[in-house]
Amino acid sequence: MGNLDELINKLAKDGTAVKPAHHPFLLSLEWITIAVFYLALALMISGLRTDLTAKLHEPWFAAEIAVLVGIVIATSLSAALLSFPDLHQMRRVALVPAITFVLFALVMFIAWRADSPPTPPPMHSIECTLSITMLALLPAVWIFFVMRRYASTHQYWAGGIAMLAAFSVGALWLRLHEQTDSIMHVIEWHYLPMVIVGLLGMWLGKLVLKW
Amino acid sequence: MTDRTDNFATMMKQALAGDQRAYGDLLQETTRLLRPFLAKRLNNTNEVDDLMQEILISIHKARHTYDGNRPYKPWVFAIARFRLQDHFRVHYADQLHHAADLSEMEDYLHEDVTETSISYESISGEVEKLPKKQATILRMMHQEGYTAKEVAEKIGMNESAVKVAAHRAYKILRQKLER
Repeated sequence: MGNLDELINKLAKDGTAVKPAHHPFLLSLEWITIAVFYLALALMISGLRTDLTAKLHEPWFAAEIAVLVGIVIATSLSAALLSFPDLHQMRRVALVPAITFVLFALVMFIAWRADSPPTPPPMHSIECTLSITMLALLPAVWIFFVMRRYASTHQYWAGGIAMLAAFSVGALWLRLHEQTDSIMHVIEWHYLPMVIVGLLGMWLGKLVLKW
Repeated sequence: MTDRTDNFATMMKQALAGDQRAYGDLLQETTRLLRPFLAKRLNNTNEVDDLMQEILISIHKARHTYDGNRPYKPWVFAIARFRLQDHFRVHYADQLHHAADLSEMEDYLHEDVTETSISYESISGEVEKLPKKQATILRMMHQEGYTAKEVAEKIGMNESAVKVAAHRAYKILRQKLER
């Protein structure tokens, strides 16, 4: 008990004024804004796909892009909430990525059914995954760096969601850049690796977000 | 209750503004709030005190994630639960680390108690060596599945005599097989 009182006195003496952390909505808005600039820069350098205007008139492609944007927003928001010990007391909002992922799976399933006869896949395969990973690297490092300043009590989930947020930026970039219409290729080499990245993020979360 | 909850939030707001006295009071109150929660889940007072210290340090480190505009208790309990889980994880990992592997124990264990040198054949052989009446009774009861009453009817004896003969036969068999 004596030790406890001593500790409390020590902490109280150390208790200088502290600026409270940003609200998670503001934090996620910050991340999304940076992601938009980063995406714009990447597209300026790599170039947009030439048939983008025509493709955006196709309902399933437009839906895929819209849900992908939704994933970027939802995962950013969730990662921001998961940075707080109590999820800023908005536990349900932190689960929003689950809804967007279900929606995304549904859109991809319908797009796959609509792709008849199937569009032949491009010659390349893993190059897409590698390109997305390369592009997602910087946002991932940034998000983890910012999250480390907070105090997550859900390190596995925080890590996984942070990686998904970064990877979805990369996936969005490639979809707007690469002229590929094969849904099977997109699922196999763009989106399925996301699952692995998410798992890797969980492991990283436990490692990096320790406090 | 509401007053006390508001009090926590107010004290934390003051603490965040640099009021060291309010911060000290808040930590004291928090200790009082968390003690029953930890005591219910841990075995001894020392463990509770050790973990309480860790929780207080965590509160200190994470105090910037609380803005005073939402209830204090869910925030502080989230940290307490997190540290408690960590504590259990380390505790059980440590126990597992020190637990001996069963295969390592095998060398020190006594012989397998279920293993025996007595086989069905050896018992049958010994039964045959018994006096004729006893051997017949055992064979009928244990190989052919008759009850003592049925055996008694078949060989013209009374039931208790069959049971006594069987009992004597068991005794002889046990002595022979234990040798």
